[in-house]
Amino acid sequence: MPSLSSALRILALAAIGAPAIAQAKPIAYANGTTIMGEYGAGTMNELQLFYAPRYFYSAGVGHLALQSDLDGRTRDITYARLNYLLKRWNLEAAQANVFAWGGAGAAHTNQTSGDHFVWHAGFQADYETRRVYGSVKSELHESSAFSHRIDTLQLGAAPYAHDYEDLATWFVVQGRQGTGTIFDGTEWAMLLRLFKGGGWLEAGVTTDGKVQAMFMINF
Amino acid sequence: MFRKLILLGLLFSASVVAQAGTIEMKVNGLVCAFCAQGIDKILRKHPATADVLVSLEDRLVAVETRDGRDIDDADLRKALTDSGYDVKSIKRTQNSLDAIRERLKKQDR
Repeated sequence: MPSLSSALRILALAAIGAPAIAQAKPIAYANGTTIMGEYGAGTMNELQLFYAPRYFYSAGVGHLALQSDLDGRTRDITYARLNYLLKRWNLEAAQANVFAWGGAGAAHTNQTSGDHFVWHAGFQADYETRRVYGSVKSELHESSAFSHRIDTLQLGAAPYAHDYEDLATWFVVQGRQGTGTIFDGTEWAMLLRLFKGGGWLEAGVTTDGKVQAMFMINF
Repeated sequence: MFRKLILLGLLFSASVVAQAGTIEMKVNGLVCAFCAQGIDKILRKHPATADVLVSLEDRLVAVETRDGRDIDDADLRKALTDSGYDVKSIKRTQNSLDAIRERLKKQDR
């Protein structure tokens, strides 16, 4: 498998001239609430709750729990966040978005005592049609106790073009890597994504045979 | 007198039927059902809305209005914009949503 940074470079080159590159979006729609939960192969678990007063921004809270597969160190981060849609391209048969977000909170690790102030910032660029989609996401966490960045690439293909009332099915390849000694190299996973109505469920395995799963509810 | 009442009743019914209808909107960016549910929700909240149809295949959002009611273009555009989408065109027809569903089925075959 190529490293994630190589894959990101290839994707960035491929994106030149195209509107942009999707995964779960941090903003649903005006007056919409989103709950997201992720179990990331035993190394990363996250739960988020966002409310969007307008279609272009949302605010909420979350909790991120990281456990290094290198040395067992843990980082628990509880945060408040503001998500902002920087740009959306609504094309005839595609949509592309660029989101940015930032927030602050408290972090606890098993290597230091007490809580630490932590801030974070990230972005996501995505592009999707009814049959293909791709997204790149990067998120940086900074505190006096640690500093790390998590980069995620997702590429998906749908075996059929779903319509509004249909069950949507996607096959997704995900690559994730982190700086700051939280992951060992790039974690690749194959995922099956299903969604219908306001419910979204995806699950799969990493190349190490670990389970990766995520759910999202919009209402 | 009885005939006049019947005539008035028929005229009233006819005017209501003439005013009832459907608004069909062509919308760009309609690729994901999960993301497009905001359109359905926001349009159904409008007091003039009887029913809503969203077709990703045809990039179409159709609103059947209640008898004698209409929704301003500005309100429609705002509803779609607030859902994160762009309206390309709006037209009013007398087709029912069922008739539109049938038409789309035939088109998509």
